[in-house]
Amino acid sequence: MSKNTEQEAGCWNVEYVSSFVLSMTLRESEFGFPSVLARSADAVPETACSEVESEVIQLFDEYRSRLLRYVLSIGLTVGHGEEVVQEVFLALFRHLRLGKPKDNLRGWIFRVAHNLALKGRMSEQTRPDRAELDETVAAAQVDPQPNPEQQLASGQRQARLMATVRALPERDQHCLHLRAEGLRYREIAEILEMSLGAVSISLSRSLARLERADRG
Amino acid sequence: MRHFEKHLNDEDLLLAIDGELSSAREEQVEEHLAACWDCRTRKQSLEKTIGNFVEARHAELDAKVQPSAGLRALLKANLEQIAAEPPAKEKIPVTAFRSTRVRRALVVALATAAVIVFVIGGVERIRVQNSAVYAEGPLEPRPTLTPGAVRTVNATEVCGANSEARRDALAIPASVKEEVFREYGMSAARPQYFEIDFLITPELGGSNDIRNLWPEPYRAPVWNAHVKDQLEDRLRDMVCNGEIDLATAQHDIAADWILAYKKYFHTDRPL
Repeated sequence: MSKNTEQEAGCWNVEYVSSFVLSMTLRESEFGFPSVLARSADAVPETACSEVESEVIQLFDEYRSRLLRYVLSIGLTVGHGEEVVQEVFLALFRHLRLGKPKDNLRGWIFRVAHNLALKGRMSEQTRPDRAELDETVAAAQVDPQPNPEQQLASGQRQARLMATVRALPERDQHCLHLRAEGLRYREIAEILEMSLGAVSISLSRSLARLERADRG
Repeated sequence: MRHFEKHLNDEDLLLAIDGELSSAREEQVEEHLAACWDCRTRKQSLEKTIGNFVEARHAELDAKVQPSAGLRALLKANLEQIAAEPPAKEKIPVTAFRSTRVRRALVVALATAAVIVFVIGGVERIRVQNSAVYAEGPLEPRPTLTPGAVRTVNATEVCGANSEARRDALAIPASVKEEVFREYGMSAARPQYFEIDFLITPELGGSNDIRNLWPEPYRAPVWNAHVKDQLEDRLRDMVCNGEIDLATAQHDIAADWILAYKKYFHTDRPL
């Protein structure tokens, strides 16, 4: 170990600190997370803490809304979603602090969020807030421009479209929402552990269904 | 040129829309599209569907994704705290408190966010309930409910080569899981934050009796499932090396596994 200043030495302790994140993720080897036990302080490169911190904050600013929207779209509540997003960025800090590769950070961030979100609602059998939500959406989420009748029609149509999305196979929903957040096919394939071809089949199948629903 | 006569399928059209075609294929597709009104119309129709979906999705979700300066500040505070953490193992109490503080801050922030969104959207009733469940859940097994229970096995069996496989044989029926949640007063709670775990691990002779089961939080800040796994491995090694007897290991992990961890790892915090 070459660094002994308090600040820098303190930095690598993050791994232990965010153990509540790890406790959820450690057993999932596909995460690419290092094991706490396998960690060696000697292996930690010396990137200044503050640099990593500001990088993480910058990425938070860039991706927070999109990440939150994604985890909400796959069924999390806002509170749970915000929490997942926090955990993602604490994990990201740890990841960067250990000098892990920075290529495809966007994919990494979404992948961790996706897995945390699924893990979090693993034993959640039902989503009781759904029906209520749809009604509220139909009633409240409308374009302010057109007249009230058109507003209602447009809101209902959108609600119906989203209901169709929720009726899609879960994997197809994940693909669709990730794509909607701007991820490329390659990234989606990595996050969901499927092939490129499967991503494109999933997306075109979903769109065909949405199209039919929108017409009918 | 016969190749271009064949109409494009939705998949190719979508790949073209998304700019995901290989450059060789892209040229062919563009050439066909230029020549074929049918395919061009179909492509426009797909784009329209994408547009409708994107609008509907924003309409549904954007109201819930409010900018939140508070959560940004919280992240910053968490990061600073993490970065400023003294690394020395001896400073255990500080670490333990700090993690708890982070957790508490998170819960407080969530509660605050809950109020804000409740006011703004008026939709998310369920969430407050979530935070409460999260904060109230048991972090440790209760001795009255989960004293621990064992099968009749001896150290030789525990250390036998196929003992690893035994855990799989001790599946916990869903009805028993529900019963465990119920006895811990978590019947109303949505159990996604907990898993039903063995107090005395099957690898140490623990049984799947309800007295040996408790709802273990996935995300306890310090003394979590992962740490308990370490202890279980350690105790099994010690039993198999003859350093302690099986009954002692079973007793210690059942009585207070955190205390047992501290005792057998000679530390006050997880390694």
